[in-house]
Amino acid sequence: MPELGRLALLVALVLALYSIGANLFGATRNRPEFLTSARHALWAMCAMVTIAIIVLWNGLLNSDFSLEYVAAYSSTTLPTAYKITALWGGQQGSLLFWTWLLSIFTSIACFQNRRRNPEIAPYAMVVLAVVAIFFLGMLNFVTRPFDLLAVAPVEGTDLNPLLQNYWMAIHPPSLYTGYVSSTVPFAFGAAALISGRLDDSWIRSTRRWAIFSWFFLTLGNMFGARWAYEVLGWGGYWAWDPVENAAFMPWLVMTAYLHSVMIQERKDMLKVWNLSLIGLAFGLTIFGTFITRSGVISSVHSFTQSGLGPYFLSFLIFVVVSYTGLLIFRSGELRSPAEFESYLSREAAFLFNNLVLVGIAFAVFWGTIFPVLSEAVRGVKITVGPPFFNRVNGPLALGLVFLMGVGPLIAWRRTTPRNLIRSFAAPVSSGVAAGLIAFAYGIRVWYVLAALSLAAFVMGTILVEFRRGVSARRHMVGEAPAVALVNLVAKNNRRYGGYIIHVGVIVAFVGIVGSSFFRTEVKQTVRQGQSFAVGPYQLRYLGLSPLDTPHLEMATADIEVLRDGREVTEMAPAKVFYKRQQQPATKVAIRSTPFADLYVVLAGLDDNGKQATFEVFLTPLVFWLWAGGLLMVMGTVVVMWPNVRERAAIAATLRGAVDREMAGEPVPGGD
Amino acid sequence: MRFKLRFVIGSALIVAAVAYLIITAIRTTSEYYLTVNEVAARQAELGGQALRVAGRVKPGTIAWDPSSLTLKFAIITIPDPAAADGAVKPVVETDPVAFNVTCTGEPKPDMFADGRDVIVEGKLLPSGEIAATQVLTSCPSKYQAKKNR
Repeated sequence: MPELGRLALLVALVLALYSIGANLFGATRNRPEFLTSARHALWAMCAMVTIAIIVLWNGLLNSDFSLEYVAAYSSTTLPTAYKITALWGGQQGSLLFWTWLLSIFTSIACFQNRRRNPEIAPYAMVVLAVVAIFFLGMLNFVTRPFDLLAVAPVEGTDLNPLLQNYWMAIHPPSLYTGYVSSTVPFAFGAAALISGRLDDSWIRSTRRWAIFSWFFLTLGNMFGARWAYEVLGWGGYWAWDPVENAAFMPWLVMTAYLHSVMIQERKDMLKVWNLSLIGLAFGLTIFGTFITRSGVISSVHSFTQSGLGPYFLSFLIFVVVSYTGLLIFRSGELRSPAEFESYLSREAAFLFNNLVLVGIAFAVFWGTIFPVLSEAVRGVKITVGPPFFNRVNGPLALGLVFLMGVGPLIAWRRTTPRNLIRSFAAPVSSGVAAGLIAFAYGIRVWYVLAALSLAAFVMGTILVEFRRGVSARRHMVGEAPAVALVNLVAKNNRRYGGYIIHVGVIVAFVGIVGSSFFRTEVKQTVRQGQSFAVGPYQLRYLGLSPLDTPHLEMATADIEVLRDGREVTEMAPAKVFYKRQQQPATKVAIRSTPFADLYVVLAGLDDNGKQATFEVFLTPLVFWLWAGGLLMVMGTVVVMWPNVRERAAIAATLRGAVDREMAGEPVPGGD
Repeated sequence: MRFKLRFVIGSALIVAAVAYLIITAIRTTSEYYLTVNEVAARQAELGGQALRVAGRVKPGTIAWDPSSLTLKFAIITIPDPAAADGAVKPVVETDPVAFNVTCTGEPKPDMFADGRDVIVEGKLLPSGEIAATQVLTSCPSKYQAKKNR
């Protein structure tokens, strides 16, 4: 079986190489049969990588420890679900998984464009194949998933306990899907530059891909934060660790891109900017893989040096240099005729929002690579921790939230002061009111007051927008309010889905502010039967219950939580010891309410469990971070939902193609 | 063109704000990230500075008092793996440089044990002791398994 996997990867590499030649020949010499052949080659490549994936999964499920990878990341006692997720638990497997996703997305993009975009699509396929060749080259020659051990061990080393968690089962696939799918819009942007078709057709053809990518980046970041919160046991969800930053930066740039392409579609402006953003987004995904695997930047999730760094760095430099070269080569044709007309225009708000988003991404980038830079320049490694990121990004986030409120309400091109007052009177007063209420409740931290005011302001603007739309429908179509609301969203799903995402962002923002500024932390060692206070709660340590299975040992502390002398709940934080890896881990107990989370960690045990040390966090509003994430996801689903009008347009295009085919006309690129 | 200029100014203002925030934040929040040997070499200039020190827990030096949440241990340099693999070993093993670390108010990390690699955050006291606010254990690699052959 391992031989089959190895062979499949080699054939996939050959097919990818062939597709490049066939696509280039077919496109430049106008030979459609070669384009068809290239497409088939890419589909076959996808089939080959799929075979390799099946072989590796088969090895994991059957505990075939002759495979080095299986021996290193699985064991006979590992639950089946984690045997499946162990596919991306280790380096070779996760690269294979990445390549698999890339080959699937390439195949889908091939299929979508078999009759569309004949000028751009072949070049986009070339770019996708180049990326695939890099990863297939790594898998074939550098970090091979099907290496065998000379002597198969009886038992495997087991998957890292921190990864034996359901969030870790879904976090990497989401993030990888987000990372990898950004390759498609990037490939079309590069193809537009190569072919010289620089209108917005590359954007239109990949709009859904970009949203799809953003959707999964959002999910991936949220799942990652949730995993950190539930598993790592430090009471927080985000530590500005290089690994987290690597996932956050593409999200920021992709967010900027999704907004600025709207300006190009409407106003034919910012062409260079959009092409740069998508290049940056793709480059950052490669950069992220580079820093997490190279050992160049030390992270708490310490990734040992794996020797892959130079390869990823070379590929990154290749991508950046060639893409920048293309941009410069086409710069003369990319000048846009239109100009900005006023500060008080939606274009301006979008442009400034873009600058702030990219500014945040740059600050994160700078803080992440600062140790390397300082060592190179000053000869001493200087790190910046979470305080740096919070100090820089805190104020920038306020600016971003402000622009989120302004953007949707002001008109394209220019707004008259009178319109401005009419649109903004209600949102501004709700913002001021929120600030005053917070002040009356005794909040004196300026950042929190500003954040709450701005959040209320943005919510106000979104409400105004919904109200306007609903009342317009009521007057023009005569619908009942609820019906009008549903139809409004259904008929303009991109716009109102976007507003739902904005609501989600604001809700999450409030959760982040609340949990960052008002967290209480108590560390206490108590004997059995003793209790201690955390905020309004009394926690009593009742005793320890042990558990012993072949896979793990667990000691669970039973805690009774009281408030005003009455029992609220019982909590059971635990210490786990994974036998295979000889590694202890912590199992956190969380009681979540919309007001605050009670988060209990069993930090230490002494005297046979008669005495225990607890670390307890009372974190207000953290619930709303997850709720906001859910709203963002729901809003994105609304945006991606096939629009009736759009579907009709696509159907018409396809029908046209089929009709021509039936009539015996040659269809460009048809089979 | 007047409007174009305006936007250049507006954009420049945002860029300047970002740059200003980054520069001031770096100045106030940066910490030296040093190995144990580097701390020893620069001991004179590091007094009172925020530090992160990477090193290894010296076996047999751990003292943990759960009732006061006080953890004491000594930290030594992480041996270079390349040198350890090589055939040439120094004939006389010199006692490695060690610093005593005291961390109060934090629970003992799960992975903390003799010989583990840790990152200590804190300050260097005039006495040559490190007063730590946090001790981080680096978790075993997620991506690359140790090769035991």
